[in-house]
This record gives sequence, structure tokens and C-alpha cells, in this order.
Amino acid sequence: MADTILDVEGLSKNFGSKKVLQNVSFSVDRGHIVGLVGPNGAGKSTIMKAILGLFSYPSGKISIDGRPVSQTSHQELEKVGALIEYPGIYPFLSGLQHLELFSNDGVTRDQIMDIVDKMKMGSYVKRRAKTYSLGMKQKLGIALALVNHPELVILDEPMNGLDPQANKDLRTIILELAKQGTTFLISSHILSELEKLIDDLVVIDKGQIVYRGDTAALESGETKLMVLKTADDEKAKQLLSQNGYQIVKADDVRIVEKDDTRMADVIKLLSNNDIEIEDVSHVHNDLETSLLALLQNDKVKES
Amino acid sequence: MVTLVRQEIFKLIHKKSTWAASVVLLVLMTGIAVMSHNQPNTFNPQAMYQESFMAVPWIYLFMIAASASIIAMEFQYGTIKELLYRKYYRGQIIISKWITMVLYSVYFFVLALAYSFILKLIFFSGTFQLDETYGAKHTVFAQTVYYSLTQFVALWLILSLVLLLANLFKSSAVAITIGIVGYFALSVVASILAILIKKWTWLKWNPLNMMNYPSQYISPSLKSMTLLSTNELLIGSLVYTAIFLVITYFVFKRRNV
Ligand SMILES: Nc1ncnc2c1ncn2[C@@H]1O[C@H](COP(=O)(O)OP(=O)(O)OP(=O)(O)O)[C@@H](O)[C@H]1O
Ligand SMILES: [Mg+2]
Repeated sequence: MADTILDVEGLSKNFGSKKVLQNVSFSVDRGHIVGLVGPNGAGKSTIMKAILGLFSYPSGKISIDGRPVSQTSHQELEKVGALIEYPGIYPFLSGLQHLELFSNDGVTRDQIMDIVDKMKMGSYVKRRAKTYSLGMKQKLGIALALVNHPELVILDEPMNGLDPQANKDLRTIILELAKQGTTFLISSHILSELEKLIDDLVVIDKGQIVYRGDTAALESGETKLMVLKTADDEKAKQLLSQNGYQIVKADDVRIVEKDDTRMADVIKLLSNNDIEIEDVSHVHNDLETSLLALLQNDKVKES
Repeated sequence: MVTLVRQEIFKLIHKKSTWAASVVLLVLMTGIAVMSHNQPNTFNPQAMYQESFMAVPWIYLFMIAASASIIAMEFQYGTIKELLYRKYYRGQIIISKWITMVLYSVYFFVLALAYSFILKLIFFSGTFQLDETYGAKHTVFAQTVYYSLTQFVALWLILSLVLLLANLFKSSAVAITIGIVGYFALSVVASILAILIKKWTWLKWNPLNMMNYPSQYISPSLKSMTLLSTNELLIGSLVYTAIFLVITYFVFKRRNV
């Protein structure tokens, strides 16, 4: 059995009469990078807050390293670093002072500066945070989550506001730390970025888990598509479906590729009917497409 | 807990307002001392000294603002989550804030007493003697220290209420307003209060009446208005402070963030 660092079992949570989480269960293996995705309001931040002991929950069990975590038992949170929703920042302190304030006694100045360098915050870290831009604050929030070298790092939409370079830097840091054994639970709506990082995926919709597993498995259920651009797309679609091809609803012409689908046949059919082909390409389902399909087809009901 | 208090103090000393308040206090005390020096008949030097050159109302003002903001700023800046998702418990967080404010208020009173002493040496070295009683029970110096202690008790009655309000409303503006209005309105409503207390004597146990503790300590004749002995006022103040702090503790523990 794999070494589990975080285990969530049967977690439920209501806000008033609204069921925000229903029987949520998943576990996170040590050293893995796990993505937590789902639509707005699905309950991602709520799950993360529950893990961090920020509120009580009526039923369920959360444990870190096998020991329970709840609002009334915080001991294991010593091993956790987090950024939830948006970074909380004191405008009258500098970035460096924030890092000093929240760092444990064992953390040296060199270790703090190391994170500052990696996040490329050197040029402004001594300035008061009041003057920071959105992305600068976000970087500080991430640095704060990492400063005590936690075993488990929980990041809620960490790419929020970061420029492409900062995104790449963050990815490098996360991958490097994961290689050294740090575990990450990351939620994000930027699936193209998330895809480059994660080993496993947890998908949540309306407070319920709809997928749990590795990313490869989700994407292998994919359909390959042949995408055509023609002089007359409408006519092409009609013609192709009359000839037994399965067409996907889209602006351009998308044919579902089966084992016996051959490009030569398609081209021949269209040119025989005087439809000029401008471009042909294949698309693989990426995480985004797979996810959208999954969320469209799940049978989760609002409650 | 020591770590938490240290962190709170770190935040406090890196706020500009913390230092500005101390400087303003010293400047205002100096101003009063100069006035008393120039017009000793209007501003009796010994009386001024015993009131720490009017430092107390300013200390009230600064402490009310600081107590409201030490709670409300965490909600305002969204830093409350960061404070709470560590290995520490909510109870520890709120208690560390109280301890910090107690230390800060002690700092203010010590500063005011020490600076009053300096002002006395500079402006009134021959005017009156600190170790004389001038017919009172205690020496001038002892009298000043005791009066500061009674003020400290009354200050914490207000601060415990301000801390509770800041927790309930998550807004320093509301807490500061009620705290300051509550304190300064006392002189305004005092006469109305006296009439009401005469009519319904049980009203003498209301918290506003307890705020008369320092005044009654100085002029015991106030008993005819408060209908409580000085010691009853002291105990009443402490009990109300404890009640407000306990309510705050539970409000903070149950708060959703
Ligand atoms: N304090 C609260 N009081 C009442 N309802 C809340 C509260 N916090 C969250 N909710 C509700 O809980 C649900 C889940 O919210 P949550 O913040 O976990 O969503 P999310 O998955 O993080 O969404 P997003 O992608 O927009 O960040 C939402 O329907 C939200 O309205
Ligand atoms: Mg969220």
C-alpha cells in the first residue's frame, strides 16, 4: 500500500441548510502532486479549509500522517503550509517581515532568502506590502506557505495573478520540492498549467467527488478527433454524416476518429463533391476537454 | 503562547501608529506641563502631576483604537486564516492578543508615570514635594500611582467591551466608535444616570456606573451618586471585564472564517 499523508473520509459540511460537501472521501500519497478541480462553488476551498481545521464539520474524518485533524486538534498542522483563496497580508509589514513573522524558530535567514530568490521577489521584498501588485502579493502568499518547509502544502488557486514567467518558476519550485518528498494539494482553474504538474486528480462537483485517480486514466477515455476546415463547413458536415461519420457539434468540422476512419477516404469524399479542404488536423482530448465532458455527464444534483 | 505574544508584539511595533501614539502622548503631556507652569492658578501643578498631566484620556483613546484594530485588522486584511490554520488553537490566538494589549497598556501607564516624573523635575522641582502628603492619606507620589491603577482597572472594563465588539462586528470603526463614545459620554450622561439610579437602585450595578471607580477613588463623596462603595465599584469592574472577555473568547472560538 502506498504511503498516505492525507486522508479525508466521508466529509460533509453544511452552511445553514445548504449542503456544501457530501460524503467526500479521498486520500493523498506522500510526495504526490494532487489536483483538486471543479466548477466555481463546487467546494474546493471548503475542503481545504476543513483540512486546515478552520471549522467543525458534522461528519467525516480527516487525518494527516494517520493522526486526526479537526478544529479542536491542530497538532498535525505543524507539518502543513497553505495558501487559501487569497493571501492575507499586513499592509504595514514588508514581504521579508511577513516571512520572519510566520517562520518557525528553526528557519534561518538564509533559508528565507532562498525562497525569496526562487520566487524572484528580491527586488521588492523589503518594501512594505501596501505597495505590492496582485501578483507580488500572490508570490508572497506562496512563499509564506513554503517558508517552514512543510511536508504537505495546500495551495488554492496559486497561479492567480501570476505572469507566465512566474507560473513557470512556481512549477519548477513545486516539481523540485515534490521530488524531495513534499506533497502538494493544488486547486486551480487553469487546467493547462495544472496538467503539467499533477500526478493525481480529484474532481468535485456540487460538493461530491465525481472522479478520483490519475490523470492518464481520465484522458485515456478520450476520443480522438479529426478537425477539418473547408470552404463550406455546413455542406461538409451534412455530407459526412450521410456517409456514416460521427460528427461532433462545433463551429468547425469535427469527426470522431474510429479505428477504421482514414483521412484519405474523408478527403476523397469531400473533393469528389467539390468541397475544398483548407486545413486538416488531429486533436487529442486535453485535461480541459476531458474534464468538461466528465462534468457535463455526471449525475450530481444540487441539493 | 510566548511565540504568539511575540508575533503580536512584532506586528504592533512595526505599525507606525504605535510610535506616533507615544510621541503624541509625550507632546501633549509636555504642553499641559508648560501651561501649568505658566498659569499655576488655573492649572494646579500638583493636581496636574497627580493626573499624569492629562495623559489618561489619551491613553484611553490610543488603547481603544489599538484593541479594536488588533482584532479587526485580521478580518480586514484576511490574515485571520493564516493565524488559525497553524498548530495553535483559537483560544491561544485570542489570549495572545489580550496579553499583548495588557502589556501595551502597562507600557502606556509606565511611560506616563515616568514622563510625569521627568516633567515634575524640569518644571516644578520646587513647587511641591513627591514624598509629602499635604494632609492626604498618601504621599503625592503614592497617590499618583494608586490613581493610575484605578484608571487601569476602568480602562480594561472599556477595552474588554471594545475587544468583544471588534469580534462581533469584525470592524474596528464600530468598536472604536462605541468605545470612545462610551468613555466620553460618561460625563454627559452622568447626571441622567444619577437620577435613574435614584429611581431604580438596582441600576447601580450597570457597567457604566462602574466607570466611576477612579473618580470615586479620588473623591469619595461620589458615593452619594453611585450608591456603591469604592470596593464594590472595583469588584464590579473586574467582574464585568471578566464577563466581556469570556463572551469574546466563545464568540471567537465559534466564528466561521
Ligand atoms: N461562509 C460561507 N457561508 C455560506 N456559504 C458558503 C460559505 N463559504 C462557502 N459557501 C458556499 O459553499 C460552496 C462552496 O464554496 P467554495 O468556496 O468551497 O467553492 P470553490 O470550489 O472553492 O469555488 P471557486 O472555484 O469559486 O473558488 C458555495 O456554494 C458557497 O456559496
Ligand atoms: Mg475557492
